[in-house]
Amino acid sequence: MSGPVAGLRVVEIADELGQYAGKLLADMGADVVKIEPPEGSEARRVGPFVNDEPGPNRSLNFWYHNTNKRSAVLDLEGSESDRETARALLARADVFLEALPPGRAAALGLGYDTLAAANPRLIHCALTPFGQDGPWAHYRVTDLVALAAGGPMNMNGYDPEDAPGAPPIHGKGDQAYNTGAHFAAMGILTALLGRDAGGEGQYIDCSMHEALSSATEVGLPHWLYTKTNIIRQTGRHAATVRTEPWIHRARDGKDVLVFNIGRSNESWGKLKRWMQSHGFGANFDEERFDDPMNRMAARGTPEAKEIFAEVSSFVGTLDAEEVYRGSQACGLPWGTVRSPDEAVDDPHLHDRGHFVATTGEGLDGEALMPGAPYVLTASPWELRRPAPKLGEHTEEVLAELRGLTPE
Amino acid sequence: MPGLPLSGIRVIDLTWIIAGPTATRYLADFGADVIKVEHEQAVDPIRLGRPIVGDSPTLNNSGFFNYVNRNKRSILLNVRHPFGMDLLKRLIAVSDVVIENFSAGTLASWELDYPEMRQLNERIIYCSISGFGHTGRDRDHTTWGPTAQALGGLTLTSGLPGLTPAGWGYSFMDHTAGYSAAIAILMALHHRHRTGEGQHIDMSQVEAATVLNGPAVLDRTVNGRSWRREGLPPGNRAWEPAVAPHNTYPCAGEDRWIAVAVTNDAEWEALVRAMGEPAWSRDARFGSNADRRANQDALDEHIAAWTAERDDYDLMALLQAAGVRAAVCQKPGDRVESDPQFAARGWWQTLPHPDMGDTTHDGVAPRLSSTPGVLQRAAPRIGEHTREILSEALDLSEAEIGEFAEAGVFM
Repeated sequence: MSGPVAGLRVVEIADELGQYAGKLLADMGADVVKIEPPEGSEARRVGPFVNDEPGPNRSLNFWYHNTNKRSAVLDLEGSESDRETARALLARADVFLEALPPGRAAALGLGYDTLAAANPRLIHCALTPFGQDGPWAHYRVTDLVALAAGGPMNMNGYDPEDAPGAPPIHGKGDQAYNTGAHFAAMGILTALLGRDAGGEGQYIDCSMHEALSSATEVGLPHWLYTKTNIIRQTGRHAATVRTEPWIHRARDGKDVLVFNIGRSNESWGKLKRWMQSHGFGANFDEERFDDPMNRMAARGTPEAKEIFAEVSSFVGTLDAEEVYRGSQACGLPWGTVRSPDEAVDDPHLHDRGHFVATTGEGLDGEALMPGAPYVLTASPWELRRPAPKLGEHTEEVLAELRGLTPE
Repeated sequence: MPGLPLSGIRVIDLTWIIAGPTATRYLADFGADVIKVEHEQAVDPIRLGRPIVGDSPTLNNSGFFNYVNRNKRSILLNVRHPFGMDLLKRLIAVSDVVIENFSAGTLASWELDYPEMRQLNERIIYCSISGFGHTGRDRDHTTWGPTAQALGGLTLTSGLPGLTPAGWGYSFMDHTAGYSAAIAILMALHHRHRTGEGQHIDMSQVEAATVLNGPAVLDRTVNGRSWRREGLPPGNRAWEPAVAPHNTYPCAGEDRWIAVAVTNDAEWEALVRAMGEPAWSRDARFGSNADRRANQDALDEHIAAWTAERDDYDLMALLQAAGVRAAVCQKPGDRVESDPQFAARGWWQTLPHPDMGDTTHDGVAPRLSSTPGVLQRAAPRIGEHTREILSEALDLSEAEIGEFAEAGVFM
């Protein structure tokens, strides 16, 4: 079995913005040739590094986002012959994924019109912060700046009593770049299906700003229909009115997400028995708690207030993972607020083979990292090779172009 | 719509809430015929979701539902009725994709798991989105978006140091699981084009979250360092790359903020010039990136004093013109009413809705030059397309449809 896009030839010019889109294709079988400048992609200078020692082949950020790719060094800024090589690569490619500033590809002789004249089947996806035109087209961003402009960030924050005057909060992990990459991958695959159906290649203008603004759930509908900006709340959904807290501290000092209490009578009955077996919720047998509407959060009922207060005390007597597993046994979707790396300790994810071992410069042996975001049973995700060292495949790629096999 | 890249792809959409409907919204935007299968005894809760247009929910007046379900068609099918289940199976037999986001095991309990679907249609692509996937010891656990965010590590990475996490303020993972599912379905369609083979896509919402923090996982498995440690999360300061200044700063007005990120010395010089080269900026404490990192409290205080009385959009324009990465922390209303970029690119579009009048929608991202996505219709009224779908897809006559209606199949 091989991946669903095995045989797809992709040429990538991308750093922190765009590299994840290339990974999504490479991990599912595509041959992604990453063109890097002589000093290497910017992402090679993003930490953390192996043993905290920087070096072009030691960035864990780069390791993760460039699995299954090949690296070819071409000096596109300084060498016409290298630009010619890039055009030759693109003449036989299916996909050109680039995250250059608007106009830069054309200035390098790699504009869509030039490339399509030689290769009309080419799908050229340009991922940029704000799109190819408009007053902000040339504005520059980081992940923080993109999440601020696009809207997701304004929904994350604090209740005034927890952090008076706190700003909107930037969730980490390059989630703006990731969302932009998801849209780039969707666009490339959509164009590919159009080609499968008999069409030619085409150009894709993928704006991270438009992607992010599309990914803010109920934020826009509240404005569009009621001209209301929802308010930020600690650790739970931004809303038009204040709601009960969702994050509660467990005995071991870790936090637990506690919500959706009592939506169904069945889960409420189980929760009640679980808590009562630990000496909590003695009064939950009172008839007024039987009505789901009384138990429902955000309606201001005294029952909901009592339930949340009692649950909070109860959660403090157990360790976080006990709360998580106990709640799930009641049919409740609570969960431990884990650190990203703590997922590695979850046996269920290992049952599914979610983590895969990779390696690279400075590491003796192998280390685990997350594998696939989806399991395609007939054409699975696969780690064929770790992220490439800078220029590792330059000769190989050039030899292929010359129609030679490398020795 | 003919000419769109996914036209001719029929999707049986059994999803509800946000994650699944986000995947099918994308597919519908590019021409797939997404048939939302609905049942009056178990309606998609988002049909009742606020904001509601009018005094009370009618199933057809939720602005939230309209936002997520544009371009789709709706069929009412009582799958608890044997005739209803039979019609569902006949629809699957003539479709390309089935997608659902029930708990693991739900479709198996309907005797409609992947092997059964394959009997009906060998080429079918079946995408299940569940909390934990259909295999593994915890497959029966359930998630909502916030659960996947908590377990996957996203919630903890968002917050001010020493405080309860701020989290994401919405179900970011419903969106992201939806996009991941769309990617997987598109890939599976390409695979089928090449090989003729359909398949089951087993999506776990938690796994769609853990993959979003790979470098943090590697920092633990390579360097032995967990993200759960003093100083993390760092608020709006940078984790990696470790640069400064990198923060949000208050602007004139109520709850107005600008995000500013300086990634190298040249950008720092640009910021200093944009601020008018104040004396404090030449302090040795701010000379190099390492100095600025070490003295972020003082640095942020100086910058905040400079931004506090200024208009946020003016500052954004000033800083970007100077070569400094900066943007207003836009609220939903800002994006719709004030964002010049969205306005210039014609991002907001209007669709008429029979119960809500003209309704505003996002455009379609990304923008495909020869086959751009299209907004064809607002979200369907419940069961709006029942008869036309059965007539088109299964070639049922009016009389046959009438008999099913009398038998209570369309409710």
